[in-house]
Amino acid sequence: MDYRKVERQLSLVRGVVYKNLLENYMPLPVDRSACSRWTKDLPPSGQTIIYTSYMYQLGSVFKSYAKLLERFSGVKFATRFTFLGGFLIRPKREELERASLILNNIVALLKESSVQVAYLYDEEPYSGALLLELGLLDEFREYGRRLLSFFDGRGIIRVITVDPHTTNALLRLKTLLKSNLEVVNYLQLIRHSEGKGSFVMHDSCLYSRYLGLGDVVKSVLQNSGVTLVEDRMVTAQDTSTCCGAPVESVDEELSEKIAKARAMKLTSVHKNVLVACPLCYQNLSPHVESIRDIAEVIR
Amino acid sequence: MNEEWSEALDRTIVSVVPKFDEILKEYPYIKDYADKLTQIKLGVLDHLDEYVKMTVESVEKSGGVPHLVKDKNESQKVVRDICGKEGMVLFAKSNVALELEIRESLARDGHEVWETDLGEFLVQLAHEHPSHIVVPAIHMTKERIGKLLHDGLDARVSSDSTYEELVASVRKFLFQKYINAKVGITGANAVAAATGSVVLVENEGNIRMDTVIPSTHIAITGVDKIVPTLEDAFLEAQVQSAYAGLYPPTYINVTSGPSSTADIESKHVTPATGPKEFHLVLVDNGRRKAVGDPDLRNALLCIKCGRCYFTCPVYGTLGYDWTQPPYGGPMGAMWSAIIDDDTRPANLCTHSGGCKVVCPVQIDIPKVLEHIKWLDSQKNR
Repeated sequence: MDYRKVERQLSLVRGVVYKNLLENYMPLPVDRSACSRWTKDLPPSGQTIIYTSYMYQLGSVFKSYAKLLERFSGVKFATRFTFLGGFLIRPKREELERASLILNNIVALLKESSVQVAYLYDEEPYSGALLLELGLLDEFREYGRRLLSFFDGRGIIRVITVDPHTTNALLRLKTLLKSNLEVVNYLQLIRHSEGKGSFVMHDSCLYSRYLGLGDVVKSVLQNSGVTLVEDRMVTAQDTSTCCGAPVESVDEELSEKIAKARAMKLTSVHKNVLVACPLCYQNLSPHVESIRDIAEVIR
Repeated sequence: MNEEWSEALDRTIVSVVPKFDEILKEYPYIKDYADKLTQIKLGVLDHLDEYVKMTVESVEKSGGVPHLVKDKNESQKVVRDICGKEGMVLFAKSNVALELEIRESLARDGHEVWETDLGEFLVQLAHEHPSHIVVPAIHMTKERIGKLLHDGLDARVSSDSTYEELVASVRKFLFQKYINAKVGITGANAVAAATGSVVLVENEGNIRMDTVIPSTHIAITGVDKIVPTLEDAFLEAQVQSAYAGLYPPTYINVTSGPSSTADIESKHVTPATGPKEFHLVLVDNGRRKAVGDPDLRNALLCIKCGRCYFTCPVYGTLGYDWTQPPYGGPMGAMWSAIIDDDTRPANLCTHSGGCKVVCPVQIDIPKVLEHIKWLDSQKNR
């Protein structure tokens, strides 16, 4: 195995992504206003917020980390990339439209369960999950201090997350920095929902094998009327595997191969695949004809 | 890896996962054994130096010769000195011997060296690396094994031969080697500190041959394999066997010193029928340093059952290209950091998490790998 490329990618993440986070609370220079247009109806401040961490809006951008970092791999260019105020990555229109439907549905589901939320719009910071998942623990801790201070400064005491990576990152920060911030995933708050159809569920690794939320996800779906098709060799806790997304930023080829293999297993069980994570959606969708997020299926 | 890899691994997983389920259903006490073993091994790590000392003393007391070695060079020197010049040396799939490249060093000295575990023998014949810690030839399909044996060993078998014909062909070849072997080298599934006993679990019967027929038996293992008592060592052998998908094991071997008898007036005489020399080579090679790292030390609990391999998408894609053999899969990404100070493989962990779900000794493997990623990031600042 030639690890030189992996080392180069990690070095770029440290150099480019971390610097951007410290300066802009974003891993890459992204058009934040475009990402926050999915709602105008939520109050911009409050003690409880819905926290998207841009995961649905920027799923394809996060998937293209490797390519983006590759593009800006020259030292001079990397510096420009960090500080170039005018240059902004804009997500695709159709992706923003899909994210809007998903996020508005999540807000509606929370309202149905009597949970009112505020939203930080284009002030919303990124969680730092990428740093944690690449083992850049010093950087994650340092950025996390700023993030928690940011929340604290706005009087936020409860954060409702919408994806597994952000949920995991914030819960780790709570432990690492001994914060009192309440972190809860929206799926834990849903009291009632309706859905239909049959699917094979691609477990989120973090929900299922780290956060103890695998059963929560499945019971929300089953209570809503959705049928999940199980297969011992594909969907059990010890046979379900990652979609490959977490390694995309350091080894794109490996990530693709893992995604393709996982998609083949899933579609051997059922043609309709269901995911609970925007990165799983991004990684698996090129290899699956019919794939939907949980928040596109329950209402 | 190639298409053959995917095909061979898929066939294996489809075969072994139901076996794991059946074993744990039929023998539910195995989970209790595994929990108990975890606590025992944690206790040993807290006092490792004392247990090493106790083991050394116990081996001496049983008439064996203990050797505490710090690294690859020292291990090779010790084993070469024991083996002398020339002669047949047989190996029974000692992963620590592979880690230390003992086979290669003896071959350079002019010894005829053969692996006697079937999978490891096939890997040796093909001049490849083991792709799984318990099933080393997992990357080969039956068809390729048939061709490999046809070309290198026995013209009567082919890619169309049955599983039984392939196994019989190797069995016949190895029998000639057992008879002429001077030294048998094994690993150890566990070492009992109180008695200096080496416990080895197997199904093929090759370990019995390697430990009894040659006049010298050398067991090479890491200090992480030490447990307090023979009872604990049996516990480890049973748990390892169950989580390797082979329970009950066909054989569990115990060796406490060289062969002996007391049949004439109860006078203890050594040797008797079996080996006249028994050596235990206890290897550090980074292990004792790892004990001092509060996150990395958990990797030393590993009983090398290889269960985690079958849950890992990175291993499923890269096979033995991921880490430095013989240690592969998620455990290999941990052990590369311990024995080679190679922190790079951990960076490819996707935290899929199946490894920690199935680990019998409850190692939070992704957490250890996250720590190793951090160690790697410290090197590259």
